[in-house]
Amino acid sequence: MPTIPRYPDDIWTDEVLLDPHPHYRALRDLGPVVWLDAQQMYAVPRYTEARAVLGDAGTFCSGQGVGLNDMVNGIGAGTTLMSDGQLHAHLRSVIGPGLTPRALRSMRGTVEQLAAERVARLIQQGSFDAVADLARALPLTVVPDLVGWPAGGREHLLEWAGAAFDLLGPMNARAQRAGPKVQEMLEFAARTAADGSLLPGGLGAAILEAARHGELQPAQVPPLIVDYIAPSLDTTISAIGSAIWLLATHPDQWAALKADPALIPNAFNEAVRLESPIRAFSRVTASDTQLEGYDIPAGARVIVLYASANRDEREFGRPDDFDVSRTNASAQLGFGYGTHGCAGQGLARLEGQAVLQALVDQVEAIEPGRPVRALNNLINAWASVPVTVHPTRHAAAAGA
Amino acid sequence: MKSVTVDENRCEGHGLCQDTAPDIFELNDDGVAVVLHHPIPPALTRQAEAGVRVCPVAALRIAES
Repeated sequence: MPTIPRYPDDIWTDEVLLDPHPHYRALRDLGPVVWLDAQQMYAVPRYTEARAVLGDAGTFCSGQGVGLNDMVNGIGAGTTLMSDGQLHAHLRSVIGPGLTPRALRSMRGTVEQLAAERVARLIQQGSFDAVADLARALPLTVVPDLVGWPAGGREHLLEWAGAAFDLLGPMNARAQRAGPKVQEMLEFAARTAADGSLLPGGLGAAILEAARHGELQPAQVPPLIVDYIAPSLDTTISAIGSAIWLLATHPDQWAALKADPALIPNAFNEAVRLESPIRAFSRVTASDTQLEGYDIPAGARVIVLYASANRDEREFGRPDDFDVSRTNASAQLGFGYGTHGCAGQGLARLEGQAVLQALVDQVEAIEPGRPVRALNNLINAWASVPVTVHPTRHAAAAGA
Repeated sequence: MKSVTVDENRCEGHGLCQDTAPDIFELNDDGVAVVLHHPIPPALTRQAEAGVRVCPVAALRIAES
Protein backbone atom coordinates (compact mmCIF):
# COMPACT_ATOMS: atom_id res chain seq x y z
CA MET A 1 0.00 0.00 0.00
CA PRO A 2 1.69 3.18 -1.16
CA THR A 3 2.05 6.16 1.15
CA ILE A 4 0.19 9.23 0.03
CA PRO A 5 2.73 11.87 -1.00
CA ARG A 6 2.81 15.07 1.04
CA TYR A 7 3.06 18.63 -0.29
CA PRO A 8 4.62 21.07 2.16
CA ASP A 9 3.84 24.45 0.55
CA ASP A 10 0.72 26.40 1.49
CA ILE A 11 -1.10 26.94 -1.82
CA TRP A 12 -3.41 29.54 -0.25
CA THR A 13 -0.87 32.29 0.37
CA ASP A 14 -1.31 35.57 -1.54
CA GLU A 15 1.73 34.74 -3.61
CA VAL A 16 0.41 31.38 -4.73
CA LEU A 17 -3.12 32.65 -5.37
CA LEU A 18 -1.60 35.11 -7.85
CA ASP A 19 0.27 32.32 -9.67
CA PRO A 20 -0.97 28.89 -8.62
CA HIS A 21 -0.28 26.89 -11.76
CA PRO A 22 3.33 25.86 -11.07
CA HIS A 23 2.12 24.48 -7.73
CA TYR A 24 -0.82 22.70 -9.35
CA ARG A 25 1.55 21.07 -11.83
CA ALA A 26 3.85 19.98 -9.00
CA LEU A 27 0.85 18.50 -7.19
CA ARG A 28 -0.28 16.62 -10.30
CA ASP A 29 3.23 15.26 -10.77
CA LEU A 30 3.34 14.17 -7.13
CA GLY A 31 0.40 11.80 -7.44
CA PRO A 32 -3.32 11.20 -8.04
CA VAL A 33 -3.97 11.82 -4.33
CA VAL A 34 -1.82 14.13 -2.25
CA TRP A 35 -1.77 15.32 1.36
CA LEU A 36 -1.59 19.08 1.78
CA ASP A 37 0.48 19.68 4.92
CA ALA A 38 -0.65 23.28 5.30
CA GLN A 39 -4.37 22.49 5.24
CA GLN A 40 -4.03 18.98 6.77
CA MET A 41 -6.35 17.58 4.08
CA TYR A 42 -6.20 15.30 1.04
CA ALA A 43 -6.44 16.76 -2.44
CA VAL A 44 -7.03 15.39 -5.93
CA PRO A 45 -5.15 17.57 -8.42
CA ARG A 46 -5.61 15.51 -11.62
CA TYR A 47 -8.58 15.47 -13.98
CA THR A 48 -9.37 11.75 -13.73
CA GLU A 49 -9.59 11.59 -9.95
CA ALA A 50 -11.33 14.97 -9.65
CA ARG A 51 -14.05 13.78 -12.02
CA ALA A 52 -14.27 10.40 -10.26
CA VAL A 53 -14.70 12.04 -6.85
CA LEU A 54 -17.34 14.44 -8.15
CA GLY A 55 -19.14 11.57 -9.87
CA ASP A 56 -19.35 9.44 -6.71
CA ALA A 57 -21.50 11.56 -4.41
CA GLY A 58 -22.36 8.52 -2.32
CA THR A 59 -18.75 8.05 -1.23
CA PHE A 60 -17.59 11.67 -1.44
CA CYS A 61 -20.29 13.60 0.41
CA SER A 62 -21.23 17.25 0.44
CA GLY A 63 -23.44 17.05 3.53
CA GLN A 64 -20.58 17.74 5.92
CA GLY A 65 -19.73 20.83 3.94
CA VAL A 66 -17.74 21.57 0.82
CA GLY A 67 -15.71 24.45 2.22
CA LEU A 68 -12.24 24.12 3.63
CA ASN A 69 -12.93 24.97 7.28
CA ASP A 70 -15.35 23.72 9.93
CA MET A 71 -16.92 27.10 10.65
CA VAL A 72 -18.16 27.75 7.13
CA ASN A 73 -19.29 24.15 6.79
CA GLY A 74 -21.39 24.60 9.89
CA ILE A 75 -22.94 27.78 8.52
CA GLY A 76 -23.66 26.18 5.15
CA ALA A 77 -25.63 23.24 6.53
CA GLY A 78 -28.99 22.99 4.78
CA THR A 79 -27.93 24.65 1.55
CA THR A 80 -28.30 22.69 -1.66
CA LEU A 81 -24.55 23.07 -2.04
CA MET A 82 -23.84 21.23 1.20
CA SER A 83 -26.41 18.44 1.28
CA ASP A 84 -26.64 14.80 0.19
CA GLY A 85 -29.03 12.18 -1.06
CA GLN A 86 -32.76 12.70 -0.87
CA LEU A 87 -32.51 16.04 0.92
CA HIS A 88 -30.17 17.32 -1.78
CA ALA A 89 -32.45 16.05 -4.57
CA HIS A 90 -35.41 17.75 -2.90
CA LEU A 91 -33.65 21.09 -2.42
CA ARG A 92 -32.26 21.05 -5.93
CA SER A 93 -35.74 20.36 -7.26
CA VAL A 94 -36.79 23.68 -5.65
CA ILE A 95 -33.90 25.90 -6.76
CA GLY A 96 -32.84 24.13 -9.95
CA PRO A 97 -35.73 24.20 -12.42
CA GLY A 98 -35.86 27.99 -12.71
CA LEU A 99 -32.24 28.01 -13.88
CA THR A 100 -32.31 25.37 -16.60
CA PRO A 101 -31.65 26.49 -20.18
CA ARG A 102 -35.27 25.64 -20.95
CA ALA A 103 -36.56 27.89 -18.16
CA LEU A 104 -34.28 30.68 -19.30
CA ARG A 105 -35.28 30.45 -22.96
CA SER A 106 -37.77 33.28 -22.63
CA MET A 107 -35.00 35.50 -21.22
CA ARG A 108 -32.55 34.86 -24.02
CA GLY A 109 -33.64 37.79 -26.19
CA THR A 110 -33.55 40.23 -23.28
CA VAL A 111 -30.11 39.12 -22.15
CA GLU A 112 -28.72 39.35 -25.69
CA GLN A 113 -30.20 42.81 -26.09
CA LEU A 114 -28.71 43.98 -22.77
CA ALA A 115 -25.31 42.74 -23.88
CA ALA A 116 -25.61 44.45 -27.27
CA GLU A 117 -26.66 47.75 -25.70
CA ARG A 118 -23.85 47.67 -23.15
CA VAL A 119 -21.22 46.93 -25.77
CA ALA A 120 -22.62 49.65 -28.05
CA ARG A 121 -22.25 52.20 -25.22
CA LEU A 122 -18.72 51.05 -24.38
CA ILE A 123 -17.67 51.38 -28.02
CA GLN A 124 -18.48 55.08 -27.73
CA GLN A 125 -15.99 55.26 -24.85
CA GLY A 126 -13.35 53.24 -26.66
CA SER A 127 -11.37 52.44 -23.53
CA PHE A 128 -12.95 50.83 -20.48
CA ASP A 129 -12.50 48.16 -17.82
CA ALA A 130 -13.78 44.83 -19.09
CA VAL A 131 -14.51 43.75 -15.50
CA ALA A 132 -16.15 46.82 -13.94
CA ASP A 133 -17.88 48.05 -17.11
CA LEU A 134 -18.77 44.86 -19.00
CA ALA A 135 -18.33 41.58 -17.08
CA ARG A 136 -20.32 42.94 -14.13
CA ALA A 137 -23.03 44.49 -16.26
CA LEU A 138 -25.10 41.48 -17.19
CA PRO A 139 -24.96 39.53 -13.92
CA LEU A 140 -25.75 42.63 -11.87
CA THR A 141 -28.65 43.52 -14.15
CA VAL A 142 -30.02 40.05 -14.75
CA VAL A 143 -29.51 38.12 -11.52
CA PRO A 144 -31.08 40.42 -8.91
CA ASP A 145 -34.25 40.68 -11.01
CA LEU A 146 -34.31 36.97 -11.78
CA VAL A 147 -34.09 36.10 -8.10
CA GLY A 148 -36.29 39.00 -7.10
CA TRP A 149 -34.08 40.73 -4.52
CA PRO A 150 -35.84 43.69 -2.96
CA ALA A 151 -34.48 46.99 -4.25
CA GLY A 152 -33.03 47.84 -0.86
CA GLY A 153 -30.89 44.71 -0.73
CA ARG A 154 -28.86 44.85 -3.91
CA GLU A 155 -25.91 47.12 -3.22
CA HIS A 156 -24.12 44.59 -1.01
CA LEU A 157 -24.64 41.44 -3.09
CA LEU A 158 -21.23 41.55 -4.76
CA GLU A 159 -19.20 42.08 -1.60
CA TRP A 160 -21.22 39.45 0.26
CA ALA A 161 -20.56 36.91 -2.46
CA GLY A 162 -16.83 37.67 -2.42
CA ALA A 163 -16.81 37.32 1.35
CA ALA A 164 -18.64 33.99 1.14
CA PHE A 165 -16.01 32.58 -1.20
CA ASP A 166 -13.19 33.85 1.03
CA LEU A 167 -14.85 32.19 4.01
CA LEU A 168 -15.27 28.93 2.05
CA GLY A 169 -11.49 28.63 1.78
CA PRO A 170 -9.06 27.57 4.49
CA MET A 171 -9.41 29.53 7.75
CA ASN A 172 -6.61 31.94 6.98
CA ALA A 173 -6.50 35.70 7.60
CA ARG A 174 -8.54 36.37 4.45
CA ALA A 175 -11.29 34.02 5.61
CA GLN A 176 -11.33 35.56 9.05
CA ARG A 177 -11.69 39.07 7.63
CA ALA A 178 -14.69 37.87 5.63
CA GLY A 179 -16.64 36.77 8.71
CA PRO A 180 -18.55 40.01 9.41
CA LYS A 181 -19.67 40.43 5.78
CA VAL A 182 -20.90 36.84 5.65
CA GLN A 183 -22.80 37.49 8.86
CA GLU A 184 -24.51 40.48 7.17
CA MET A 185 -25.43 38.24 4.24
CA LEU A 186 -26.96 35.62 6.54
CA GLU A 187 -28.96 38.29 8.35
CA PHE A 188 -30.21 39.57 5.00
CA ALA A 189 -31.27 36.04 3.99
CA ALA A 190 -33.09 35.51 7.30
CA ARG A 191 -34.80 38.92 7.08
CA THR A 192 -35.88 38.33 3.48
CA ALA A 193 -37.26 34.90 4.35
CA ALA A 194 -39.21 36.30 7.29
CA ASP A 195 -40.64 39.47 5.74
CA GLY A 196 -41.32 37.89 2.33
CA SER A 197 -39.87 40.92 0.61
CA LEU A 198 -38.69 38.96 -2.42
CA LEU A 199 -40.29 40.29 -5.56
CA PRO A 200 -43.21 38.20 -6.87
CA GLY A 201 -42.56 35.92 -9.84
CA GLY A 202 -38.86 35.57 -9.12
CA LEU A 203 -36.87 32.50 -8.20
CA GLY A 204 -36.66 33.64 -4.59
CA ALA A 205 -40.44 33.94 -4.37
CA ALA A 206 -40.65 30.34 -5.62
CA ILE A 207 -38.73 29.25 -2.52
CA LEU A 208 -41.24 31.05 -0.29
CA GLU A 209 -44.07 29.46 -2.30
CA ALA A 210 -42.56 26.00 -1.75
CA ALA A 211 -42.47 26.70 2.00
CA ARG A 212 -46.06 27.92 1.98
CA HIS A 213 -47.10 24.65 0.32
CA GLY A 214 -45.30 22.62 2.93
CA GLU A 215 -42.63 21.39 0.52
CA LEU A 216 -40.04 23.08 2.73
CA GLN A 217 -39.76 23.68 6.45
CA PRO A 218 -39.56 27.41 7.33
CA ALA A 219 -36.02 26.86 8.63
CA GLN A 220 -34.97 25.58 5.22
CA VAL A 221 -35.76 28.85 3.49
CA PRO A 222 -32.82 31.08 4.50
CA PRO A 223 -30.12 28.59 3.40
CA LEU A 224 -31.78 28.29 0.00
CA ILE A 225 -31.77 32.05 -0.33
CA VAL A 226 -28.05 31.89 0.40
CA ASP A 227 -27.78 29.28 -2.39
CA TYR A 228 -28.91 32.04 -4.74
CA ILE A 229 -26.87 34.93 -3.36
CA ALA A 230 -23.42 33.48 -3.05
CA PRO A 231 -22.61 31.76 -6.35
CA SER A 232 -24.52 33.78 -8.90
CA LEU A 233 -22.36 36.87 -9.35
CA ASP A 234 -18.61 36.58 -8.70
CA THR A 235 -18.31 33.34 -10.61
CA THR A 236 -20.00 34.56 -13.78
CA ILE A 237 -18.24 37.93 -13.61
CA SER A 238 -14.93 36.09 -13.30
CA ALA A 239 -15.67 33.89 -16.32
CA ILE A 240 -16.70 36.81 -18.51
CA GLY A 241 -13.76 38.99 -17.45
CA SER A 242 -11.37 36.10 -18.09
CA ALA A 243 -12.89 35.34 -21.50
CA ILE A 244 -12.46 38.94 -22.62
CA TRP A 245 -8.87 39.09 -21.35
CA LEU A 246 -8.04 35.81 -23.11
CA LEU A 247 -9.49 37.03 -26.40
CA ALA A 248 -7.71 40.38 -26.06
CA THR A 249 -4.35 38.68 -25.45
CA HIS A 250 -4.77 36.00 -28.14
CA PRO A 251 -5.52 37.86 -31.39
CA ASP A 252 -5.41 34.64 -33.40
CA GLN A 253 -8.18 33.15 -31.25
CA TRP A 254 -10.17 36.38 -31.52
CA ALA A 255 -9.81 36.15 -35.30
CA ALA A 256 -10.98 32.53 -35.26
CA LEU A 257 -14.04 33.54 -33.23
CA LYS A 258 -14.85 36.45 -35.55
CA ALA A 259 -14.55 34.10 -38.54
CA ASP A 260 -16.81 31.47 -36.96
CA PRO A 261 -19.10 32.82 -34.22
CA ALA A 262 -20.58 29.33 -33.83
CA LEU A 263 -17.44 28.70 -31.74
CA ILE A 264 -18.70 31.09 -29.03
CA PRO A 265 -20.10 28.37 -26.73
CA ASN A 266 -16.86 26.40 -27.01
CA ALA A 267 -14.81 29.54 -26.45
CA PHE A 268 -16.70 30.29 -23.25
CA ASN A 269 -16.13 26.71 -22.03
CA GLU A 270 -12.43 27.06 -22.88
CA ALA A 271 -12.22 30.32 -20.89
CA VAL A 272 -13.83 28.64 -17.87
CA ARG A 273 -11.39 25.73 -18.26
CA LEU A 274 -8.29 27.93 -18.29
CA GLU A 275 -9.31 30.42 -15.64
CA SER A 276 -11.59 28.19 -13.50
CA PRO A 277 -13.57 30.77 -11.51
CA ILE A 278 -13.84 28.38 -8.56
CA ARG A 279 -10.43 27.02 -7.61
CA ALA A 280 -11.67 24.18 -5.40
CA PHE A 281 -14.35 22.72 -3.18
CA SER A 282 -14.13 19.68 -0.90
CA ARG A 283 -15.92 16.45 -0.06
CA VAL A 284 -15.88 14.13 2.95
CA THR A 285 -15.57 10.35 2.54
CA ALA A 286 -18.56 8.40 3.84
CA SER A 287 -16.54 5.21 4.12
CA ASP A 288 -13.00 3.90 3.79
CA THR A 289 -12.24 4.14 0.10
CA GLN A 290 -9.49 3.87 -2.49
CA LEU A 291 -8.36 6.10 -5.31
CA GLU A 292 -5.80 4.70 -7.74
CA GLY A 293 -4.63 2.24 -5.10
CA TYR A 294 -4.25 4.87 -2.37
CA ASP A 295 -6.30 4.31 0.79
CA ILE A 296 -8.42 7.18 2.08
CA PRO A 297 -10.09 6.62 5.45
CA ALA A 298 -13.74 7.34 6.21
CA GLY A 299 -14.41 10.87 7.43
CA ALA A 300 -11.51 12.38 5.50
CA ARG A 301 -11.87 15.73 3.78
CA VAL A 302 -10.73 15.64 0.14
CA ILE A 303 -10.15 18.88 -1.77
CA VAL A 304 -11.15 18.79 -5.45
CA LEU A 305 -8.82 21.20 -7.26
CA TYR A 306 -10.92 22.17 -10.31
CA ALA A 307 -8.34 24.73 -11.41
CA SER A 308 -5.62 22.08 -11.45
CA ALA A 309 -7.75 19.36 -13.06
CA ASN A 310 -8.67 21.78 -15.83
CA ARG A 311 -5.00 22.17 -16.80
CA ASP A 312 -4.09 18.50 -16.46
CA GLU A 313 -1.77 17.59 -19.33
CA ARG A 314 -3.04 13.99 -19.00
CA GLU A 315 -6.47 15.17 -20.25
CA PHE A 316 -5.84 18.36 -22.23
CA GLY A 317 -3.06 18.58 -24.80
CA ARG A 318 -1.11 21.88 -24.53
CA PRO A 319 -3.16 22.56 -21.41
CA ASP A 320 -2.07 26.16 -20.92
CA ASP A 321 -3.03 27.16 -24.48
CA PHE A 322 -6.22 29.13 -25.10
CA ASP A 323 -7.81 27.34 -28.06
CA VAL A 324 -11.38 28.26 -28.94
CA SER A 325 -11.55 25.22 -31.25
CA ARG A 326 -10.34 22.74 -28.60
CA THR A 327 -12.36 19.60 -29.23
CA ASN A 328 -12.64 18.53 -25.59
CA ALA A 329 -13.19 21.98 -24.05
CA SER A 330 -16.65 20.89 -22.88
CA ALA A 331 -15.06 18.16 -20.77
CA GLN A 332 -13.78 20.89 -18.44
CA LEU A 333 -14.78 20.71 -14.76
CA GLY A 334 -15.17 24.43 -14.01
CA PHE A 335 -18.92 23.97 -13.47
CA GLY A 336 -18.30 20.82 -11.45
CA TYR A 337 -19.73 17.46 -12.50
CA GLY A 338 -22.46 15.03 -11.44
CA THR A 339 -25.35 15.54 -9.05
CA HIS A 340 -23.84 18.74 -7.67
CA GLY A 341 -22.89 20.11 -11.08
CA CYS A 342 -23.51 23.85 -11.09
CA ALA A 343 -27.26 24.46 -11.17
CA GLY A 344 -26.65 27.94 -12.55
CA GLN A 345 -24.41 26.98 -15.45
CA GLY A 346 -27.21 27.52 -17.97
CA LEU A 347 -27.53 31.12 -16.79
CA ALA A 348 -23.77 31.59 -16.72
CA ARG A 349 -23.49 30.33 -20.30
CA LEU A 350 -26.41 32.49 -21.40
CA GLU A 351 -24.77 35.62 -19.98
CA GLY A 352 -21.22 34.78 -21.07
CA GLN A 353 -22.18 33.83 -24.60
CA ALA A 354 -24.34 36.96 -24.97
CA VAL A 355 -21.38 39.20 -24.09
CA LEU A 356 -19.06 37.36 -26.49
CA GLN A 357 -21.68 37.53 -29.24
CA ALA A 358 -22.10 41.28 -28.76
CA LEU A 359 -18.32 41.77 -28.94
CA VAL A 360 -18.00 39.60 -32.06
CA ASP A 361 -20.83 41.54 -33.71
CA GLN A 362 -19.68 45.08 -32.90
CA VAL A 363 -15.94 45.01 -32.26
CA GLU A 364 -13.14 44.71 -34.80
CA ALA A 365 -10.21 44.46 -32.39
CA ILE A 366 -9.61 44.42 -28.63
CA GLU A 367 -6.35 45.80 -27.24
CA PRO A 368 -5.45 44.71 -23.71
CA GLY A 369 -4.01 47.01 -21.08
CA ARG A 370 -2.38 45.82 -17.87
CA PRO A 371 -4.80 43.65 -15.87
CA VAL A 372 -4.91 43.38 -12.08
CA ARG A 373 -5.66 40.13 -10.24
CA ALA A 374 -8.34 39.94 -7.56
CA LEU A 375 -7.33 38.07 -4.42
CA ASN A 376 -9.89 35.63 -3.08
CA ASN A 377 -9.49 32.26 -1.38
CA LEU A 378 -11.74 30.35 -3.74
CA ILE A 379 -12.56 32.68 -6.63
CA ASN A 380 -9.98 33.15 -9.35
CA ALA A 381 -10.71 36.39 -11.16
CA TRP A 382 -9.36 39.61 -12.57
CA ALA A 383 -10.14 42.70 -10.55
CA SER A 384 -9.53 44.87 -13.59
CA VAL A 385 -8.98 44.20 -17.31
CA PRO A 386 -8.40 47.54 -19.06
CA VAL A 387 -9.10 47.30 -22.79
CA THR A 388 -9.46 49.53 -25.81
CA VAL A 389 -11.88 48.41 -28.51
CA HIS A 390 -12.11 49.39 -32.16
CA PRO A 391 -15.62 49.06 -33.57
CA THR A 392 -16.51 47.32 -36.80
CA ARG A 393 -17.44 49.76 -39.53
CA HIS A 394 -21.06 48.73 -39.13
CA ALA A 395 -21.03 49.36 -35.38
CA ALA A 396 -19.19 52.64 -35.76
CA ALA A 397 -21.80 53.83 -38.25
CA ALA A 398 -24.63 52.69 -35.99
CA GLY A 399 -23.17 54.63 -33.08
CA ALA A 400 -22.55 57.82 -35.03
CA MET B 1 -24.67 -3.18 -29.34
CA LYS B 2 -25.01 -0.35 -26.87
CA SER B 3 -27.97 1.74 -25.79
CA VAL B 4 -28.08 5.18 -24.25
CA THR B 5 -30.59 6.21 -21.58
CA VAL B 6 -31.52 9.66 -20.30
CA ASP B 7 -32.45 10.23 -16.66
CA GLU B 8 -35.16 12.80 -17.38
CA ASN B 9 -35.29 13.89 -13.74
CA ARG B 10 -31.63 14.84 -13.82
CA CYS B 11 -31.51 16.27 -17.34
CA GLU B 12 -31.52 20.06 -17.20
CA GLY B 13 -31.20 20.72 -20.92
CA HIS B 14 -27.65 22.12 -20.97
CA GLY B 15 -27.23 20.62 -24.41
CA LEU B 16 -23.58 19.63 -24.20
CA CYS B 17 -24.55 16.14 -25.36
CA GLN B 18 -26.16 17.58 -28.49
CA ASP B 19 -23.11 19.80 -29.11
CA THR B 20 -20.68 16.89 -28.73
CA ALA B 21 -22.74 14.12 -30.36
CA PRO B 22 -25.31 15.71 -32.68
CA ASP B 23 -25.94 12.39 -34.46
CA ILE B 24 -27.02 10.82 -31.14
CA PHE B 25 -28.68 13.54 -29.04
CA GLU B 26 -31.23 16.24 -29.58
CA LEU B 27 -33.00 18.49 -27.10
CA ASN B 28 -36.76 18.28 -27.63
CA ASP B 29 -39.21 21.17 -27.29
CA ASP B 30 -39.24 20.68 -23.53
CA GLY B 31 -35.47 21.08 -23.45
CA VAL B 32 -34.97 17.42 -22.47
CA ALA B 33 -32.33 15.25 -24.16
CA VAL B 34 -33.66 12.66 -26.57
CA VAL B 35 -31.62 9.75 -27.96
CA LEU B 36 -31.96 9.46 -31.74
CA HIS B 37 -30.87 5.81 -32.21
CA HIS B 38 -31.96 2.65 -30.37
CA PRO B 39 -29.61 0.81 -30.20
CA ILE B 40 -26.53 2.88 -31.16
CA PRO B 41 -25.14 1.88 -34.57
CA PRO B 42 -21.55 0.60 -34.09
CA ALA B 43 -20.13 3.41 -36.23
CA LEU B 44 -21.60 5.99 -33.83
CA THR B 45 -20.57 4.31 -30.57
CA ARG B 46 -17.54 6.53 -30.05
CA GLN B 47 -19.57 9.68 -30.55
CA ALA B 48 -22.28 8.35 -28.22
CA GLU B 49 -19.72 7.63 -25.48
CA ALA B 50 -18.33 11.15 -25.79
CA GLY B 51 -21.81 12.63 -25.56
CA VAL B 52 -22.67 10.56 -22.49
CA ARG B 53 -19.41 11.50 -20.82
CA VAL B 54 -19.79 15.24 -21.32
CA CYS B 55 -23.13 15.61 -19.51
CA PRO B 56 -22.37 18.03 -16.66
CA VAL B 57 -25.01 16.56 -14.36
CA ALA B 58 -24.36 12.88 -15.19
CA ALA B 59 -27.86 12.34 -16.56
CA LEU B 60 -26.78 9.94 -19.33
CA ARG B 61 -25.81 6.26 -19.31
CA ILE B 62 -24.50 3.95 -22.01
CA ALA B 63 -24.59 0.16 -21.61
CA GLU B 64 -24.88 -3.07 -23.56
CA SER B 65 -28.49 -3.49 -24.55
